[in-house]
Amino acid sequence: MAEDEKNKNPEIVGFACSYCTFKASEMAGSLRMKYPEGVKLIQVPCSSRVDPAFVIKAIVEGADGVFVAGCHPGDCHFIKGNYYTRRKIAALKEMFNIFSMKEKLRLFWVSAAEARRFVEKVTDMYNDIKEKKNEG
Amino acid sequence: MKGKKIRNGDIENALNKFLKDEHHLVLGFKKGTDGIHHQVFKGGVDNYSLINHVFGTNGALYLRRIFSKGIEVLLMMRPCEIRAYVELHKLTQIEREDIIAISIDCPGTVSSKESKNNMPAEIDQLKGYFSSNNSMRWACSVCREKRGVVGDGGIRFDKTGNLWIIPYTEKGERIISIIEGELEEIPHEMLIDRSKETEKFQVDMETFNKDFEKCIMCMNCRDMCPVCYCLDCVFNGDEYLPKGDALLNKVFRTGSTTMPRGKDLFHLIRMYHVSQTCVGCGACEEACPQGIPLTKYFKGVSERLQGLFSYMSGRSFDEPIPYITFLEDELKEAED
Repeated sequence: MAEDEKNKNPEIVGFACSYCTFKASEMAGSLRMKYPEGVKLIQVPCSSRVDPAFVIKAIVEGADGVFVAGCHPGDCHFIKGNYYTRRKIAALKEMFNIFSMKEKLRLFWVSAAEARRFVEKVTDMYNDIKEKKNEG
Repeated sequence: MKGKKIRNGDIENALNKFLKDEHHLVLGFKKGTDGIHHQVFKGGVDNYSLINHVFGTNGALYLRRIFSKGIEVLLMMRPCEIRAYVELHKLTQIEREDIIAISIDCPGTVSSKESKNNMPAEIDQLKGYFSSNNSMRWACSVCREKRGVVGDGGIRFDKTGNLWIIPYTEKGERIISIIEGELEEIPHEMLIDRSKETEKFQVDMETFNKDFEKCIMCMNCRDMCPVCYCLDCVFNGDEYLPKGDALLNKVFRTGSTTMPRGKDLFHLIRMYHVSQTCVGCGACEEACPQGIPLTKYFKGVSERLQGLFSYMSGRSFDEPIPYITFLEDELKEAED
């Protein structure tokens, strides 16, 4: 039974910018908001630190979904890091689209104050992937 | 656009004149006893061949890390090779100052693995030869740019069998001034036409896994790729590949049990890394000992990813590679 449950519950790897999204996740914790336990966050100094190779490695080695989250465009601590992220991840999404698995990757912008938005976004993604996984 | 008409023997004479200076080199093709190969000419040219109908390697491979101070190198190569050179220049692997790149119209090539007997050597006959049978490499049959319109200058063939040399930059003009004759208006119609648009590439992971079943992870495709240049590739050694517990984890989570492990990872990551710079020359497929249809994937993926930014690899020196630049207001649809 426990084994079954583990198989049905997706695991999602999230790359979270330490200046905004990671702060938002900490704030969600201190506000006692809940988000699915299958979401595993990895703190990165800036969302543009995420080499698309990390995302591909996570997917190929068994993650059910990956998201990359950073500051809203224009709000990057390093001035323009997330503009590069947007280009890189947009291209990676197109590549996932070619391989018919575009639902596995998401990109969103969450500022340090938007704990609720963070919880909504990850729960939304988690539920979509879980639905898809339990279908097949 | 203006260019010079070339008479028979003009090119060899011009190259010999250029090579009189002992600090000058020419990288071009030489007729050997068995086919035509890349050759560095010094001092003068012998058995020189303008076009090469056999694809072995992409010549831009030999240009990496050229920072030639004071030595002038003239490249006389196919458009795909010149385009790879342009990309390597943008990636700061080559300094452009002392290199003059002339691209030559390409009628298409056959694989170096195929038999090359009874193939004609002249370009107009070659074009007829390729249209009469399907011996052309797949990469060439879907080539995006067979015309010599990239680099510092181009050599084009017109429909009546004349050759034209056309300058695109000041450096090209300098080379063309070696050739005798006056600049004339070039004809509008050329032998090699603009390439046709190909269908958008779309595939799924099952087909991908089936196609790459035979891969033995020799990494020849990486080593022979002209634009895959990292000195310290993440796949040197096995640090990036799933091993030990991570491998067991992968087996249980994804159900994938094929070996050598990590070949899907290797090809997908490489596909992304060269996506904006891939020129679709098919050198990877040429180097593959297992005959995997690599060009189909690499070219298909790179074309769609370049299309996203209306970019074409090697088209011009001035367009920056999309991943190292950005616009503030773009790609709104990429965010969720």
